[in-house]
Amino acid sequence: MKYLLFILTIAILSSCIEISDDLTLNNDGSGTLRYKINLSASKVKVNSILALDSLDGKPVPSKTEISAKINEFVRLLDAQVGISNVLVEENYTDFIFKFSCDFSSVRNLQDGIKLSIAQLSNDKYTAPAEQFWLSWDGNTLVRSIPAYITQQIKNYKLEDEELLKTGIYTSIARFERPVASFENKLGTLSKNQLAVMVRTNTFELKANQHLLDNTIVLTPR
Amino acid sequence: MSQQFKMRFSLVLSLLLSCTIQAQLKPIQSEQLLPKDAVTVFSINNISLLQKISMDDLVNYEFMSEVHQELFDGSTSGKTLKDAGLDFDQRLNLFYGRTNTHELTGFTFGIADKKALFEVFDDFQQLQSPLEGLEVYGTFFNHLLIKDREALLIRIEPTMEHIDAVTDSIWYARGNEMPFDFFEDSPQEEQILNEQTYEDNPNANVFPEATENPAIKNYYELRDSVQVILQQAELARVINEIFVEGINLHSSDARFAAQLTHNAEGAFYLDNARNLDKSQGLWYFQTVLPTLYKDLQELYAGNVILGDLFLRDNKVDFEVEAQYGPALGSIYAEMNDARFDQNVLAYIPASSPAYFTYNINLQQAYEQAYKVLLPLLSDEKNAQIAMNVLTLELLNEFINKDALFDTYKGSMFGTFNGIKKVKTKKIEYRYDENFVYEEFETETETDMPIFTLGFSTARADIPELVLKHMARLSSRIQHFGNYWRIDNAILDAAPLYILNTGKLLIFTNDEDLARLHPKGYGKEALSKKQRKVACQSGFMYGSIDIPKTLDRFPTEVLTPRNAEIVSSLKGKSGQLELTSSETNMEHTTFKLSYSFTGTESTGKHLLDLVNSLYLIYTLNP
Repeated sequence: MKYLLFILTIAILSSCIEISDDLTLNNDGSGTLRYKINLSASKVKVNSILALDSLDGKPVPSKTEISAKINEFVRLLDAQVGISNVLVEENYTDFIFKFSCDFSSVRNLQDGIKLSIAQLSNDKYTAPAEQFWLSWDGNTLVRSIPAYITQQIKNYKLEDEELLKTGIYTSIARFERPVASFENKLGTLSKNQLAVMVRTNTFELKANQHLLDNTIVLTPR
Repeated sequence: MSQQFKMRFSLVLSLLLSCTIQAQLKPIQSEQLLPKDAVTVFSINNISLLQKISMDDLVNYEFMSEVHQELFDGSTSGKTLKDAGLDFDQRLNLFYGRTNTHELTGFTFGIADKKALFEVFDDFQQLQSPLEGLEVYGTFFNHLLIKDREALLIRIEPTMEHIDAVTDSIWYARGNEMPFDFFEDSPQEEQILNEQTYEDNPNANVFPEATENPAIKNYYELRDSVQVILQQAELARVINEIFVEGINLHSSDARFAAQLTHNAEGAFYLDNARNLDKSQGLWYFQTVLPTLYKDLQELYAGNVILGDLFLRDNKVDFEVEAQYGPALGSIYAEMNDARFDQNVLAYIPASSPAYFTYNINLQQAYEQAYKVLLPLLSDEKNAQIAMNVLTLELLNEFINKDALFDTYKGSMFGTFNGIKKVKTKKIEYRYDENFVYEEFETETETDMPIFTLGFSTARADIPELVLKHMARLSSRIQHFGNYWRIDNAILDAAPLYILNTGKLLIFTNDEDLARLHPKGYGKEALSKKQRKVACQSGFMYGSIDIPKTLDRFPTEVLTPRNAEIVSSLKGKSGQLELTSSETNMEHTTFKLSYSFTGTESTGKHLLDLVNSLYLIYTLNP
């Protein structure tokens, strides 16, 4: 898990980062999660970090080690109940990482990720995954940003917060039927009314880790 | 630490010390309390300069870190060195030493007011002294030894290797088995590096359990006991050596004693020969190639670095002399027998916050090193070394050394020209009205430190030949009239420019230099005065504008030790300038000048420099 989180750590250390989660939810509760980390604007810095043996006294993994861990995570997640089509695109030229998987229910998705992380590592990052960040009752989606992501942003040094202001976190939820209402005032409804997008910078997200939380109610079937 | 342990510790120490020879003490002085095993010493002569330094500031310096635990407990709050009862007519000597089995750290000083001293050293408890006239005080970490008006504060730590060796020996002699059960599972390398993994994995934390009989120690209890006993034994040895036999660094090394006679505010001493001798990194040579190790010792015999610290108007000058024996001296003398290539100065802008020039004769140094080192290697009866010697001799015969050393003659320069914005590409995502995204490649700017590195060459045709052929193989290498450009050469993102002027080969990531200044900076280059200083500065010259360079240096990219060195200099005002002068068979002299501005006391600046030097010499010996 530390290798996966290392990507996030160097992402947050970098001056410009773009993170997006894109959740597509079908009426039956199944769906697809797409997650993307774009570090292309910071590739000089990321490359300079990867060229080091250690950073702040901790060893820096190589690209091969990071890739091996990512692939192990993919293998573990793909084997979880209710999870399928797990795919990862790793672009080490521009440092863009794209992850996607299909799930049969949001519970399966969260359990699958939690179990995969637990199997991958015994480290402390297992704990936050205990929390649920998605719930769906057929009409209403309640979602937040997973704690293992917000915790990394929260850990960022106070003196470097200016850098966080240049980072962007985008959270999209897509549905098969139109959205009736949503609570988050930062949210935007798509023209076809089938998706809600919430965006903020990583600085704001550090200050308020619930900034992107949203409750989205769909029109009745 | 529990009170019970302190008492037990004191009792054991007292008993041990009582067993040492009772003898009449010889009269001694402050600097004569330095253990002879001290390898690095900073001796501050005019310590009245430091009267206004607060104790809190003092204990925060890295050179005090080994001994400051008890001092930094509130008892120093608001107090200056003067309040601490120190005698300002005597030297303050900071030392670091290492034997094959122990590390010694501490300082010696004179005492003006013992009562005031113990208001600062208030955690020290008086222990029974083994010698008449010697007062011994101790805490868990340190010992304070006072004779008349002189004191030695010392911390002794046995090396981990020594503790392990003695503990293992006792452990196995008692019939015990291998104590490290938890290594049976052969943890992966990553788990060893990540201590948290062990903390969070209860199955991995299988330390030897306490024995049923409380009188029998488990491995770790035994190891702790061994550590304490080794500390005590070494302290007893040091006390006996200094206070009974009168053996100390001052009496045992005439070079150090002579250095202290100089009329300088401070003195510096580093015995590099002993540093080599005690280096843990050379264990392979010591055990597997003892003959070669002995030869290496002979090569480094007499290699000592001596320095004087002079405090002048807004300036601390550190004048250093590196002394060496004839063998090493012959290599250095040949190496430094080089003419300064003034061509390099045109490529150093006057605005450069940090730059250096380095001027050696590599071919002569190679020839001399070949002459000195090859016989040492040839005598070694080791198959691998024999093969290496054969390879070296064959290369020496077959390679066109003139072409090689004309291509890289040994003279070079480097500059740090600050941080500039460089253009790189980034991927951007744009969302449409239904939040479907498209990828676009756009330009962005990123901060990049601008470096230039160049060296003299008499065979510009050879690098040109290499570049021409490389350009045929890769479209990333392109020729642009005055310069070559290699795309994405720096961190896979920014281009590297190569200028081949015919006399210099220059590598830089500064597009301005390549495009606009292929023949040098002209009037924007170093001033006449700066050029003259660099020209006259022997084989090396360096200049660093501290605020413009180090304050912007990202310490997180350094190893913790090197980050500590850079951090120690951060926030300081002024300029560091390194010059070298004479080099001959016996010695080389250097001068490091630290010019500063601002209102901080000169004593503070002196300590800043001492601290930086301490870190450089102790962390990177």
